[in-house]
Amino acid sequence: MKVFMLRWPTRNGLPPFGFVALLVIALLSLILTAPLVEIELERLGQSLGNFSEFIVNFMVWPNFDYLPTLGVKLLETLQMSLLATAIAIVISLPLGFLAARNATCHPVVYRITRDALSLMRSLPELVWALVFVSAVGLGPLPGIMALAFVTVGFMGKFFAEAIETIDPKAVEGVEAHGASWMQVRLFAMFPQAFPNLAGTMIYVLDHNVRAATILGIVGAGGIGYDMVMSMRLFQYDRLILIALSIYLIVTVLDRLSDYLRNRIIHGAKQ
Amino acid sequence: MSSISIQQAVKRYPNGFEALKGINTEIQAGSFTVILGPSGAGKSTLLRLMNGLETPSSGNVAVGEQIIDKKNVRQIRHHVAMVFQQFNLVERLSVVTNVLTGRLAHRSWVSSMFYLFKPSDMDIAKNALSRVGLVDKAWNRADKLSGGQQQRVGIARALAQQPQIILADEPVASLDPISSEEIMQLLREICTRDQITVVVNLHQVDLARRFADRIIGMNSGQIVFDGSPEQLDNIALQKIYHKEGAEYESFHAALANA
Repeated sequence: MKVFMLRWPTRNGLPPFGFVALLVIALLSLILTAPLVEIELERLGQSLGNFSEFIVNFMVWPNFDYLPTLGVKLLETLQMSLLATAIAIVISLPLGFLAARNATCHPVVYRITRDALSLMRSLPELVWALVFVSAVGLGPLPGIMALAFVTVGFMGKFFAEAIETIDPKAVEGVEAHGASWMQVRLFAMFPQAFPNLAGTMIYVLDHNVRAATILGIVGAGGIGYDMVMSMRLFQYDRLILIALSIYLIVTVLDRLSDYLRNRIIHGAKQ
Repeated sequence: MSSISIQQAVKRYPNGFEALKGINTEIQAGSFTVILGPSGAGKSTLLRLMNGLETPSSGNVAVGEQIIDKKNVRQIRHHVAMVFQQFNLVERLSVVTNVLTGRLAHRSWVSSMFYLFKPSDMDIAKNALSRVGLVDKAWNRADKLSGGQQQRVGIARALAQQPQIILADEPVASLDPISSEEIMQLLREICTRDQITVVVNLHQVDLARRFADRIIGMNSGQIVFDGSPEQLDNIALQKIYHKEGAEYESFHAALANA
């Protein structure tokens, strides 16, 4: 007698072995690693008090005298992220082509570019910012360099992947009419990868604004320095303004990117 | 106008499959040739040899006086255009930009860097679009067009190249009968009026009979028929569409129903 009337769409009706094995491995590793990182419910419960205490600190009247300085610092943060993103786009576009299996000029170039890109994004912005601060001194410049550096690593990889997923038929169509190596990349590959690229660009800009807010911690410009200082000096009346303004900027940017993405993918409304 | 000659062309794929088993043929300049044959007979491979999208494992293919090799393949493509079954347009680009890609072979990479063309290229593209009756769609995105219209863009792209030869790989296989008719008429007219050599792969025997000057029949990598449409009788069709081990009678019945 059949107990179960339902079955999976496999040969024997059982779930696929690979999937089950993966699930078991994932669960086992989770159970084994949880004690290692000290996830203890007891401790979490005890720290609730501290947490609420910190939150209560925010219940202060914002210090509006700080607004002008905040504006300047925010503008600097935005400029840093915009500039870094722009520089990174220019550099990562050609690198993206070289790092795409179907667009690269030679397998060795492909390998080297891939490895260079992964080196660039192997460390977070903050660490690269430390490196550049010690190289070129304090200020927004090392911040921009650090942001651009990591962004090239990410965008180059994303671009390469976008290019690898394009439809080879159009490439053949352009190739068959005698277009050169460069022309095929510009006319058949780039337009197809573009919506994907644009999505990545917008996401990266969004990410860079958030990343730029923290770089000030190591003296690499932007709002981060003020944020950390007001936290250390318990100036919650400033901190709440900083937090709110960052939240505002990120939200506006998010809306904007949604709008732009739709425009790019589906074209302008006619 | 340019002729194509194929000598002892063999195409063997890395997995050992022999798509072409020694093809010898000569295609006359200015003629309209249709290649018929069942799927997998090697029609596409043969056509793709003619503009270097595939290279023969042995033997050679010559366009005009030039034997295609790695060095001159781009130069040969300057005057050999191709029309594809799946149109192979860059869907996100406008119709006219797609047609302009037919001009790329005549533009330097520096101007292409900035997507720049000459005004004369634009005139050629517009003319090509008016030939296929799509001037009013010039600024639409290619993927907003119907299948038949997209194929006409494909033909306009081929025309913009001002080629001596147009190769069409099953140009009507994904189209409805009326669009198919239009596309075949367009190709025929291009051949007659512009004296462009046209080679078309087809599945439709009736279209082949009506439009071709000459029909080449292929089966499992070999030419099994070569003659005028009048010579394409049932016996010839049986040779072309014969399947290894298939029943003679059932095949005959299928033909009668067609």
